[in-house]
Amino acid sequence: MVFEQLTGNLFQGLVLGAVYGMATMGLSLIFGVLKVVNVGHGAFVMVGAFITFWLFSALGVNPIFAIPVAFVIGLGLGLFFYYTVIQRLIKAPELATLLATFSIGVLLQEVVKLIFGSEFRGYNWTVGKIDLGLTVLPVSKLLASLGSVGIAVLLYIWFNRTRAGSAMRSVVEDSEGARVCGVNVGAAYAWSFALGIGLTVTSGVLLTMFIPVGINPYMGGGYTLKAFVIAVLGGLSSPYGAFFGGLVFGLIENGSYTLFALLPGVEPFALTRFLSFLILLIILLIRPTGLLTRK
Amino acid sequence: MKNQVTKYYPMLPVLAAYAALFLIGRNMSGMWQLVAMLLFYCALGQAFNIFLGMTGYVDFGYVAFMGVGTYGMALAISRLAHIEGLGAGIIVIGFVLAVLMSTMLSIAVGAVALRLRGAYFAIATIGVNEGFRFLIEGARIWNGSEGIIFTAQLNQILGREAASALATFWADLFVLIIAVAAALVTLIYMRSKIGYALTALREDEDAAKVMGINVTKFKIIAFITSASFAGLVGASSWALKTPYVFPPEVFEIHYTIEAIIIVLLGGAGTLLGPLVGGLIYGISKYYLSIFIPGFQLLIFAPIIIVIIVVFPEGVVGMLKAKTRNTAAGRFIV
Amino acid sequence: MKKTAIIALGFFLLAFVAGQAPAQAADSIDIGHPACLSGKYAKAGEQAVGGIKACVDWVNNEYGGVSLKGKKVPLKYTYYDCESNKESVTSLIGRLVTVDKVDVVFAPYSSGLTLRGAPVTEARGMLYMDHGGANNKIFQQGFRYVVQTIGPASSYHRGTLDMIHKIDPKAKRVALAYEDSEFAKMVMEGAEEHAKELGFEIVFKRTYPKGVTDMTPLLSAMKASRPDFVLGGGHFEDGQLFNRQMADLDIDTNAFSLIAAATLPAFYDALEYMAEGVMGPSHWEYGVKYSEQAAKSAGTTWIGPSQDEFVALFKKAAGKDMVPDYHAAEAGAQVLAYALAVEKAGSVASDKVRKALGDLQFMSFYGGWDVDDSGLQIGHTMVDVQWQDGERIIVWPESAQTGKVCYPMPTFAEKAKGKVAVP
Repeated sequence: MVFEQLTGNLFQGLVLGAVYGMATMGLSLIFGVLKVVNVGHGAFVMVGAFITFWLFSALGVNPIFAIPVAFVIGLGLGLFFYYTVIQRLIKAPELATLLATFSIGVLLQEVVKLIFGSEFRGYNWTVGKIDLGLTVLPVSKLLASLGSVGIAVLLYIWFNRTRAGSAMRSVVEDSEGARVCGVNVGAAYAWSFALGIGLTVTSGVLLTMFIPVGINPYMGGGYTLKAFVIAVLGGLSSPYGAFFGGLVFGLIENGSYTLFALLPGVEPFALTRFLSFLILLIILLIRPTGLLTRK
Repeated sequence: MKNQVTKYYPMLPVLAAYAALFLIGRNMSGMWQLVAMLLFYCALGQAFNIFLGMTGYVDFGYVAFMGVGTYGMALAISRLAHIEGLGAGIIVIGFVLAVLMSTMLSIAVGAVALRLRGAYFAIATIGVNEGFRFLIEGARIWNGSEGIIFTAQLNQILGREAASALATFWADLFVLIIAVAAALVTLIYMRSKIGYALTALREDEDAAKVMGINVTKFKIIAFITSASFAGLVGASSWALKTPYVFPPEVFEIHYTIEAIIIVLLGGAGTLLGPLVGGLIYGISKYYLSIFIPGFQLLIFAPIIIVIIVVFPEGVVGMLKAKTRNTAAGRFIV
Repeated sequence: MKKTAIIALGFFLLAFVAGQAPAQAADSIDIGHPACLSGKYAKAGEQAVGGIKACVDWVNNEYGGVSLKGKKVPLKYTYYDCESNKESVTSLIGRLVTVDKVDVVFAPYSSGLTLRGAPVTEARGMLYMDHGGANNKIFQQGFRYVVQTIGPASSYHRGTLDMIHKIDPKAKRVALAYEDSEFAKMVMEGAEEHAKELGFEIVFKRTYPKGVTDMTPLLSAMKASRPDFVLGGGHFEDGQLFNRQMADLDIDTNAFSLIAAATLPAFYDALEYMAEGVMGPSHWEYGVKYSEQAAKSAGTTWIGPSQDEFVALFKKAAGKDMVPDYHAAEAGAQVLAYALAVEKAGSVASDKVRKALGDLQFMSFYGGWDVDDSGLQIGHTMVDVQWQDGERIIVWPESAQTGKVCYPMPTFAEKAKGKVAVP
């Protein structure tokens, strides 16, 4: 009984984990290149969710087609905030960039609230369900998960097979060295930030395909915190690390519930949250480069 | 000897400002609760500045120390209320417990997180704050998510009149005293070895280490001092003034952000900064909420971005630079 | 540069002092309110302000003002935005009672913020009326001037349990899944206690944390406990998620009732067919049958606008086509309670009005109103609403019904094919 539940939950966790992982790649990319922690991460996820919601409910656009739209808008937002704010803070202490990215997040929230109001919204894109015996999986969730894997693969190809991608990768690994080799580091910074935001906004689309309710200007906070844990699992500066971190996180979040539920006198759901932050601390202490990276 | 006294001249403007706030609050009708809010923000800034301003480390989970301080006071009152004859002594026990609990948490967190730097430190401290809250809720510690509501116990111990004066006047006065004490400690640190060591650390931690400064020791001193003041602020402003504790409210990350804004606005690492920052922040918040209700954040967010980019040294930081080597300069630190 | 700074500082201090406008003469009865217009309670706060404005409008223009010492005195409503933030609540109440010299303070939304303001009003012996703090413990603290209009949290799911107990004697297994917050926990306690009294078996009892984004593990465990019906919820966002993921996992039960979320129109907008047949307890719902005739036959006083008048006045006050929900209704009813109590007391002095409120019993569009000695609301009964073909139908109590309940509700698979929950 417990075992069946655990297997079902772990499977659900894996499917969700892929989406979580994709939703953290942008955060890790930005940190990897610019050493800036985007505390406003969740707000960009929220922008993606609203793009999907609006395209679907106002224009009837299939959420899959919202992916490229969100990506382009994300790139635009990324370039805008890079040149207006982030560029001036690259050399500033952490305090400045943390507060700046947080304020950007608040600004986005308030602007979206002004346009859409603070109502919780949702949409229904019904494409059927698959009954797996142990658990039931809606096709939209499966598509979100596969889409996330697809985007991660595309990113991998781009980083490793294209000139622009390798240039950016060289900046992540050694920005001084890259400069010496003739890479335009300034442009690489701008485009990595833009790409990171683009990925984050896109992840908002995938997350609403997974959970198409609760779309609200303030929905991002929880995702920011989750993204921190996932990014740390993956080593904070590696987008792929983040993707696998997402899978691990999904498994932990879903799997540990069933186990905590066996304890008497506790609230298992809150304990799963506690566990994820405990893991964050332990990893930061013993292996800050992440679980999955080679030392 | 004279040197000893002039060293502490910069306390004068601080004391003058807090005295003025107190007098405005007591003598102008309707101002006390506003002054109480301003004092809260100033105290928050003064306390946080000891760590954030002096070391440059960003503790994103700072509110956790206020949270446990609140719990310290709440537990003292709700668990000891049945003991006869404690009277106002229970408040003293509460403050002691608040300091103990926040100090203990800060030692635990410091031992772990202070090994990390920069963004890693910031993320670790967020993890501590959130993790601690979910531990309280999940393991049902201290009543779990139901929290503690203890006005009835306060009334029973102190009597209705005294309990009500506690929430509407004494709690705010305690906050004022805490703010002044935090400012004094800041100045003492600045004028001692700790201050010089922390300045070296803030400029370049590795160089400071090479020079033989025991960086870790001074970081931990600043961290624990700052955390215990936070515990006191929580105990008076959140437990005595707000007779309940609900975990999501006392671990709300929003307050860490407010504290960061206050410190940055006034000038990180300055003595007067948190006071100025707290006043500007509190007053603008108050009047924005009266005159344009609902749009405060929309206005605040871009202003803060501009301040970070254009005036990263804050108001007092700027004043300090302008008044260097003048007579006024001796008072502005 | 220094000069600029000094000028700026001077300007600031001036603003600080000049903002304190003098109070006007007492030709009106003043209500003060630190409202939650932004921050986490902005949605409920906006509703409350609309509801209060609507009823103030009714008292002043339809009713002709409050009769006080032979004169008709209008109500005046002053509110500021507390940003759902406790520091602002006390500072704004301080301003309301001293600068604006209001006669009564209406509490902000939520139990926490209500408690934050209470010591300040108590210290001044100021009446403090609670329309958004449902925690029963507020009334166990010995406050003398706090009076509640919203019903206590422990009673939210009583009606649902009574209904199922009556219509389906075979249903025994109940699952409880609530948000881990002070309010929802108290609802859960009340539901658990009442379920046991009625002889139900509690087969599942768990909470989920605030701000949850995925409830799959909890719901899988709940599904395995094979409940006959499910009670739960907390706030709006988690309620939406709860319903959605019940549908995703095909968890079909005879009945499903959510607090706070299910009765709001946005719930159905977001979930559409998945919300069919879902129920929720509500303090007030458009369509309730409270009227002057009903009051007469119950032998109690009637005051206030009719239901339709209230909705019209609310829309006028909100300035847009917004539908009032129960947050608006309870805040509005509070205005009526206050107006009646002032008339009965013949004074605006807080102690006299408080005493009059203690003796007061009346009915309005919101339903019955009566408080016990501690100020706890005991006269108001909640209704249970069910979504039937996109409409909110009041199905319980029988005396307030606008339609029969659809029980058991259709399965999610049937609903996906277009079946609606019509009995």
